[in-house]
Amino acid sequence: MTDSPLLSVRDLTVYADETMIVEAVTFDLRAGETLAVVGESGSGKSTLALAVTGLLPPGLHCEAGAEVRFDGVRLPLEEDRAMRALRGTRIGMVFQDPMNSLNPFMRVASQLAEALGRVGVPARERQRRIAALLREVELGPELAHRYPHQLSGGQQQRVMIAMALAGSPDLLVADEPTSALDTTTTGEIVGLLSRLRRERGMALLFISHDLGLAADADAIMVMRRGRVVETGAAASVLSAPREDYTRELVAARRLLAEARPTAASGEAPVLASVDGLAVDYPARRLFAPPTRVLHDVSATLRAGRTLGVLGRSGSGKSTFAQALAAMQPPSAGTVRLLGAALTPLDATLPRRERRAVQFVFQNPQGALNPRLTVARALAEPLRLAGRLDGLDEAVARALREVGLSPAMAARFPHQLSGGQRQRVCIARALLCDPKILICDEVVSALDMTVQAEILALLARLQRERGFAMVFIGHDIEVVRWIADEIVVMHQGEVVDRCTAATLGAPDRHEETRRLLAHARPLVHAADIATEERRATA
Amino acid sequence: MAQLSRILLALLRMAAQAAGIVVIVFLLCRIAPGDAVDRLALEGGLTSAEETALRHEMGLDQPILVDLLTWSAHALAGDFGQSLRYGRPVADMLATALPTTLTLAAGSFVVGLLLAMGLAVSAAVTGNRVLALTVNLVNVWSIALPTFCVGVVAILVFSVWLGWLPVIGALAMPIVIIGIDNAGQIGKPLLEELREATTSAHVRTARAKGLGRPRIAVFHLLPTALPVALALSGLVLAGLVAGTLTMEILFGLPGLGSLMLNAIHGRDYPVVQAAITVVAVALVVINAVIDIIHHAVDPRLAR
Repeated sequence: MTDSPLLSVRDLTVYADETMIVEAVTFDLRAGETLAVVGESGSGKSTLALAVTGLLPPGLHCEAGAEVRFDGVRLPLEEDRAMRALRGTRIGMVFQDPMNSLNPFMRVASQLAEALGRVGVPARERQRRIAALLREVELGPELAHRYPHQLSGGQQQRVMIAMALAGSPDLLVADEPTSALDTTTTGEIVGLLSRLRRERGMALLFISHDLGLAADADAIMVMRRGRVVETGAAASVLSAPREDYTRELVAARRLLAEARPTAASGEAPVLASVDGLAVDYPARRLFAPPTRVLHDVSATLRAGRTLGVLGRSGSGKSTFAQALAAMQPPSAGTVRLLGAALTPLDATLPRRERRAVQFVFQNPQGALNPRLTVARALAEPLRLAGRLDGLDEAVARALREVGLSPAMAARFPHQLSGGQRQRVCIARALLCDPKILICDEVVSALDMTVQAEILALLARLQRERGFAMVFIGHDIEVVRWIADEIVVMHQGEVVDRCTAATLGAPDRHEETRRLLAHARPLVHAADIATEERRATA
Repeated sequence: MAQLSRILLALLRMAAQAAGIVVIVFLLCRIAPGDAVDRLALEGGLTSAEETALRHEMGLDQPILVDLLTWSAHALAGDFGQSLRYGRPVADMLATALPTTLTLAAGSFVVGLLLAMGLAVSAAVTGNRVLALTVNLVNVWSIALPTFCVGVVAILVFSVWLGWLPVIGALAMPIVIIGIDNAGQIGKPLLEELREATTSAHVRTARAKGLGRPRIAVFHLLPTALPVALALSGLVLAGLVAGTLTMEILFGLPGLGSLMLNAIHGRDYPVVQAAITVVAVALVVINAVIDIIHHAVDPRLAR
């Protein structure tokens, strides 16, 4: 290994028309090392990845003064033909959304064969090389004949990685490779990338919004609003961040390591309970039996307490919440909700009581009508309840309660940030004076620092108002922090139940342990990274 | 197995649709006031007894249901009866008319599809403004200018003034005119679909693999736009029934359209029924074939 960097970037600036998206970014990446670029949405980190590979979408341009050298040679970033010679050969790429990043019309084998053909592997050898690539990313050879939609998200991303490896690249650029995957799969993919980098001696440019995933890197570069905030060795950035913003990022994750201030415990009244609940979805075809998505679920919800529902995507968490809120009739078992008993035969909640159960959803953008101002969106539940007097004051009060300025009332959803939108959704739910608040992955779509703010807000509101909360999530750290009791779901069943404090006990169910194994509390991440480096050195 | 049962089901649905159309056409022909005998009486001055005898001879006095059943049974065996006006077997008349219409329809469809695909794909791949403008121009042309107007002008220019092509009986001119019309309808939506596909994530992956432009266009861009191209083709093919009809009359082509129009004027119902049945069955088959192709090219639809 020589001392000169494999990839050296000097003063890289990217414009969209007049706006600077990436501003004078400078960094070096040595052969065989990992640089993690961390930043929240809009920080320009993905644009940076696309810029150095010459894949900027139309409308974005690099400033002429930028100097990007790969293996000592200056790259002509704006010349597609010249950049194409490097892509797929010496530089491999893995993208954010594996489902859409694979060609839906081609089998896995053909897509891999195409990548191999591009680097001149003769047709008769491709079959063997495809099998070897699949083995390297820990996939069975039978997957070669599938189409992308027949694979899980994790498998799709492994195929993307195999495709990027086809040309035996010196540099692998991974742009948010795990942001579309659940926590367990994320852990697996990050582990795989890290092993492949070691074994093949590639350099890895790893782009992520999650500082916790950057712990394995040699160096971390923190970006915000297109600029580099801080660059340094991973361990020092994580344990002793120099800049305020980095500290904030680290603290956002640390919040979860501190105990949540809880209300006085004791026997609170039971607001809802489910017993032996099963839910079927109607069959897609005539005469086929309905699909049972929830089996024999039992749980209790008490006033002022939070029930955490933990599980991977597709484990039945959201269906459970909908059945609990009388939005999905039970197929077997009973749901007792605010004094009403919902059975398979009669699953309607009296209209008056419906207001008492409120939802906040994952995607605040989709949950708000883009044509209504915040004021009108918030006034809607009040109008429905016939409370027409003092609408403006009520809206202003609700906005203040969730930490927003009453001046926001005149804005439209697109004029708000993601965190502000989610606050509006929470305010809307609160205007109904809910006894039960159901939060379905409410922080999953938000940046790390915003996640912490929203969680703290929910905890405070619950302390003040005493509503019961059902908190659904796949991030074990988040659920553990906010919940009192936790049920772990897997394939439509509750496989484990415990209190937040006993979640880490060694005798927990296999699925719980799997979720825990892939959670990476940042506080320890830095230490683990240093440990590992010492071991490999 | 599932594939096979799906195709069988599609065929069954297709047969039901065709049967439905045939019944409706049959009923409409019978409900419409006046029949072939009325028409002949207008011209020839028949006595009322002669009219009754003629109706009996032609089978027009049968109850409608009996008539429908006999006709259907014969039609299934390929016998569409005799023309009331000309006394020739309808099947023969169709056989002489069909080749002209088929050539016209198939020719103009192929011209349209090739023109649209060629323009849209090259415009999307190269990003060339002139090509994109041409796609738009052809689109506006097809919306604003009905084929029969273009036909009249084309006859004036190419046949009367320039004297290049004969006015009557030549297929080249109507094929090109309808072809351009078809290209206008397919080209623009196809280009928009392709443009969207160029920014899609899997095309970016193809670029990240370092593939060349032609390969990306053929293996990654085109398949993405295929469902749209197929759906549009279906619409265009259905529209050809009306499109070929006016062209046949304008250019004096002895096709299905001319045959049908004359038959309607003369209340020659066996011919009308047979012609419409052929067109209906053709449309239903085209729709089914497009559906099957769609399932075959898009693996996400195969279950």
